[in-house]
Amino acid sequence: MSSEGATDIGPGTEADVALDPGHGSEEAETRAPDPEDGADVSRRRWPRVLGALLTVALIATGGALYAEGRQLRDTPATANLALTDAEATTRVTGDVSSALSKVFSYGPGATATTRAAATEVLAGKALQQYATLFGQVERQSADQKLTLTTEVVRAGVTRLTDDSAHLLVFLDQVYERRGRAPTTASAQLTVVAELREGRWWIVEIGST
Amino acid sequence: MARRRTTTANTETSGTTGRRNPLLLAALALVVCAAGAAGWGGWQRYEASHDDAASFARARDDALAAGEQAVQNMNTLDHKALEQGLDSWEQSTTGDLHRQLVDGRDDFARQIAEAKTVSTAKVLSGAVTELDQRAGRAGVMVALRVTVTAPRGEPAVKESRLLGTLTRTSGGWKLSALGQAPVGSTAG
Repeated sequence: MSSEGATDIGPGTEADVALDPGHGSEEAETRAPDPEDGADVSRRRWPRVLGALLTVALIATGGALYAEGRQLRDTPATANLALTDAEATTRVTGDVSSALSKVFSYGPGATATTRAAATEVLAGKALQQYATLFGQVERQSADQKLTLTTEVVRAGVTRLTDDSAHLLVFLDQVYERRGRAPTTASAQLTVVAELREGRWWIVEIGST
Repeated sequence: MARRRTTTANTETSGTTGRRNPLLLAALALVVCAAGAAGWGGWQRYEASHDDAASFARARDDALAAGEQAVQNMNTLDHKALEQGLDSWEQSTTGDLHRQLVDGRDDFARQIAEAKTVSTAKVLSGAVTELDQRAGRAGVMVALRVTVTAPRGEPAVKESRLLGTLTRTSGGWKLSALGQAPVGSTAG
């Protein structure tokens, strides 16, 4: 409040009230420095009220527009970078496709190579799943002189963030047994990949 | 106290001799800041609605949703509700595919009526593989489980991999081509 002057005894408000009975308390509330008369005061108050209302209205407008903009921009759709980040999409599709062809292709004498390759592109749950599966495959491959070649027909990214991706992959698998015509099987997989140390690793493989 | 006496005229809200009321200055600054905030908010809002990435992302999700629904429709048919089923096929498609369906409708309806089969489909997963917003075209891949029930025998369950092309129409994204992903074309 206004505690100007040496005449004030105690808190400023009390002094004002004492000096100007009738306006004092009101003036103290609105922090007016010059209480003259009633009409004057209310005329003076208008610009302040208007100013305050304008300020509040402007801030509210700004806030509302900003919030609306955020709502438009931060949606589940925009959080998914699939295709919107073309470079990252191409990269994860390429990495995952080549990884799948590598780990699901083997020859009778070369399963060890495949197994070694798997540890470089698979991680976590996918590596465990693969180890279980590949144990059986290795035995069969040795027994039946089986060659498997896997080719990715089409891969699409369903969901992509900075460091994780979900993909749908269509595969063709060609089985060749020595002395027999090759057979082709079609398969589809869902794959979860994670970006670690600048490289996409497959962390989960599921049949759709 | 001194200031009180200098400000007697109604129109004067601050000192006459260059000594401005600090409260008024602060209030003005506040109003200017508020105006700035409103302007900034408006700019953010404008930017957001003209954000290409956001509209692209929306188009992608719209295309996928429409594509999955269309693929499911195209693999669902009940011989007891043939007309309704074939109408939904026609509603899900546009262009060449739509024309083929319309042309072949009577023959196909006869076949299904004779075979008395009921097909239901469930989309397992789907992804948009390409999207050209300007041309209004999108490519989708969908993994689908189709169950076909004939009057006799067990229902046949088959998983299929489908590739579709969507075209944007005034009624939303519609299938303009649909086919099985070719088997053995890459390594056969």
